[in-house]
Amino acid sequence: MRIQVRRTGGFAGIERRGEVETSGRPDAAEWHALAERAVASGPGTPPAGVPDGFSYRITVDDRTVYCADPRLTEDQRTLVSRVLKEGA
Amino acid sequence: MTTHGGFQPVFCTVVPPHVLDRLARSDDPARSGPARRTLRRDGELRTLRQVTTEFRLAAEPDTRAPSDQPARTIHDAGHRTDLPGAVVRREGEPPGQDATVNRAYSGLGATFDLYLRVYGRHSIDGEGLPLVATVHYDEQYDNAFWNGEQMVFGDGDGEVFLDFTLPLDVIGHELTHGVTQHTANLTYYGQSGALNESVSDVFGSLIKQYALGQTAAEADWLIGAGLLAPGVTGSALRSMKAPGTAYDDDVLGKDPQPATMAGYVRTGRDNGGVHINSGIPNHAFYLAAAALGGHAWEKAGQIWYDVLTGGELAERALFADFAGLTVKAARERYGDGGDEFEAVRKAWEQVGVRIL
Repeated sequence: MRIQVRRTGGFAGIERRGEVETSGRPDAAEWHALAERAVASGPGTPPAGVPDGFSYRITVDDRTVYCADPRLTEDQRTLVSRVLKEGA
Repeated sequence: MTTHGGFQPVFCTVVPPHVLDRLARSDDPARSGPARRTLRRDGELRTLRQVTTEFRLAAEPDTRAPSDQPARTIHDAGHRTDLPGAVVRREGEPPGQDATVNRAYSGLGATFDLYLRVYGRHSIDGEGLPLVATVHYDEQYDNAFWNGEQMVFGDGDGEVFLDFTLPLDVIGHELTHGVTQHTANLTYYGQSGALNESVSDVFGSLIKQYALGQTAAEADWLIGAGLLAPGVTGSALRSMKAPGTAYDDDVLGKDPQPATMAGYVRTGRDNGGVHINSGIPNHAFYLAAAALGGHAWEKAGQIWYDVLTGGELAERALFADFAGLTVKAARERYGDGGDEFEAVRKAWEQVGVRIL
């Protein structure tokens, strides 16, 4: 499973990207479960954000959802945080 | 709210937290009791309780004139993302041990002061709206934002960004998003979004200049000076004096802001480049203020404030619309053909915005 996150906007307006390929990873099952929950609850088009809020695009294999601060589910927040940190 | 795919936005409360804070401070236990209990609730039952409180508020309209003192409340999110978080400092309480809380409190005060002393505006809405900020949002969070009701500040990751309450202009920037929301309500996309961003940078910078007593020539015209961690190659996040020169770093990349329309960036990202193309109206403001000299908040700031609050600026205004209104405001306030009119007209000409 390939998990990609793109974060845009924010006060600084600086884009960040991260990508994690889970195949061969010992924690792949955990990643899969988290990614499934994160994309299950997001819309397929970018939601309206708030001024200076981050906007996120999460792509899990061929599925893409969008979300924006501060309206992230806990799973989305955990996923984007981990992918941007570990897959930068 | 159909665009949210059915999940409940966590921050979308019925009664704004600042209303609850005001109620909670009330001397009348019938008003303060429920509000205090509401403020203590965690997420799940929040909406139900607030609906009850709202009806109580509606029955007792507040007819007092707005105060010349701010009504600040600082909350601590405790590195989580529930807003507004625990109250850690209310208006009039002395500084505590947490420098971030103290900076947020002082920054809100400095912002309130500029709007009141210079432009005669009572808080965000002109009617004394309480000012609410949350600090320590999330973990190592590299951002600050306005959620429609309050300011939110992250601590930064410590490696690229430091605490977002450090620069006074960042606090002023966020609060000015509230002023814009209550006045011209510029749509946060494309050129109107870049104008929304620029207005926040303009008044954010003016709040810092006013607090420091600086003239246009003395000011650094930087947004976010002191926010970048040691080791990052850059002085700030944006420069109104020289857009595109604030940073050039291995990790951050290079400041992408254009100074003129020749460099206008067309993109769908960042709400249509609101933090990129804001460099153009930012630079126009700098040029007008520099040409006029003295304190930038007095003339250039007054002209921009007149446009923001004058009622003629459309929500989806383009740069040319905004420029035209600033020239008109300069003429109306300071006279046709005067220095102010000429400075504003030339500033837009220099950044390549044609006034129709």
